[in-house]
Amino acid sequence: MMIKEIITVILLVVGCFFFLAGTLGVLRFPDLFSRLHALTKADNLGLGFIAAGMAVYIASPWAALKIFFIWLFTLLASSTSCYLIARFQKEQNHSKNGKEGG
Amino acid sequence: MSVLIDIILAILAVYLALQSLLAPRLTQSVFLFFAFGLALALAWIRLGAVDVAITEAAIAAGFLGVLFLDALRDFSPRGSEKKENLEAVQNALPKNNTKSLLLPGMALMLGLGLFLLIALEAVWKIPDGGGLTAAAEALLPESGVEHPVTAVLLNFRAYDTWLEIGVILLGLLAVFAVGGIKIYRKPVMATQDPLLRQVILFFTPVLFLFGAFLLYIGKTGPGGAFQAAVLWGAIGILLHLGGRPVFSMIPRWLGQLLLTIGLGFFLILGFLFIAGGATLFEYPPAHAGVLILIVETMAAISIAAALTAIFANLNQMNEGPNEIESTN
Repeated sequence: MMIKEIITVILLVVGCFFFLAGTLGVLRFPDLFSRLHALTKADNLGLGFIAAGMAVYIASPWAALKIFFIWLFTLLASSTSCYLIARFQKEQNHSKNGKEGG
Repeated sequence: MSVLIDIILAILAVYLALQSLLAPRLTQSVFLFFAFGLALALAWIRLGAVDVAITEAAIAAGFLGVLFLDALRDFSPRGSEKKENLEAVQNALPKNNTKSLLLPGMALMLGLGLFLLIALEAVWKIPDGGGLTAAAEALLPESGVEHPVTAVLLNFRAYDTWLEIGVILLGLLAVFAVGGIKIYRKPVMATQDPLLRQVILFFTPVLFLFGAFLLYIGKTGPGGAFQAAVLWGAIGILLHLGGRPVFSMIPRWLGQLLLTIGLGFFLILGFLFIAGGATLFEYPPAHAGVLILIVETMAAISIAAALTAIFANLNQMNEGPNEIESTN
């Protein structure tokens, strides 16, 4: 019983650390691409560790499977939106450079 | 400990609401509003109202978020003439405000104070038994479902729910009235981006399944037509953004049928009950469960269609005819 709770706490703390680091990155990084990197890291790893912690805490295979799927869908959605934002920014940069050059 | 969390949540919700109103830039306002919606959803969970929490998260953070982001794009540097419009509006605003700020401010304070008093009194007056909870739970076996919230929404107070479906349809009609139905039809242009296309293809069945699950689980637990409808509406919006506007691809009559079937089926059922000697929306207890499930499915289809149509219309209203090519 104790071991389970200790593992849960460790996983949650690690997850919170990644969210904190990601938030710091979004606030402090200089440009959009590095900010996106920080944000998706926080999403993927932070949420992953917190989900793992919750799965350990609940300790039921069905709940664990559901939590895993939540993480998976968030992963898919966040990486796709990250890609779309990055692509948009890249296109903006391109068109700006094109205008300045010509 | 839990009181501490509640207090933090309450302060956070009010703080975010204020910040969202007072933020100097529209973008900040919109994102603070998302955060406010999520804080509210958490607050509803803390209050034990999981149904409301799901709806709040889906509507405020999901659907309204999409509409707001769409509106934001309208004011972004891309639409240069629209930006000038926005600047004109923003320049015009302060002039009007400075003169007569005192009177509206006083009125607002008075109204808020009154509202706060009424709210406090209402909270004070809640009886120990939790209001009508006992009455609803006593009649639960007759309602055909096992979840008290669904029983109240779809059976005991079905009239209210029926009107709510109508309100969403009215919202769509208002969008039509402002924008016109003409621009509703646009040539179909699938997105060129392979990743986006795959993700939309993947999420469409997942969202459909999850919506159906929420619809069905409403019988026994938190979930139901409105929550399912938002997820199904999300499919429509995803497809629309991926270049497959649903309402342009299906025949016009089918679209109209999808939009009105929830309201219409509910009403026809109500009249059938009256013809059978009961009152409006008085389900026969033997078939109540099945009937409620059918009504909820129809309602979810209609609400989802209405949400999709509202988004599709607003989205196409913003997009000038020349801007479509530049997005890809």
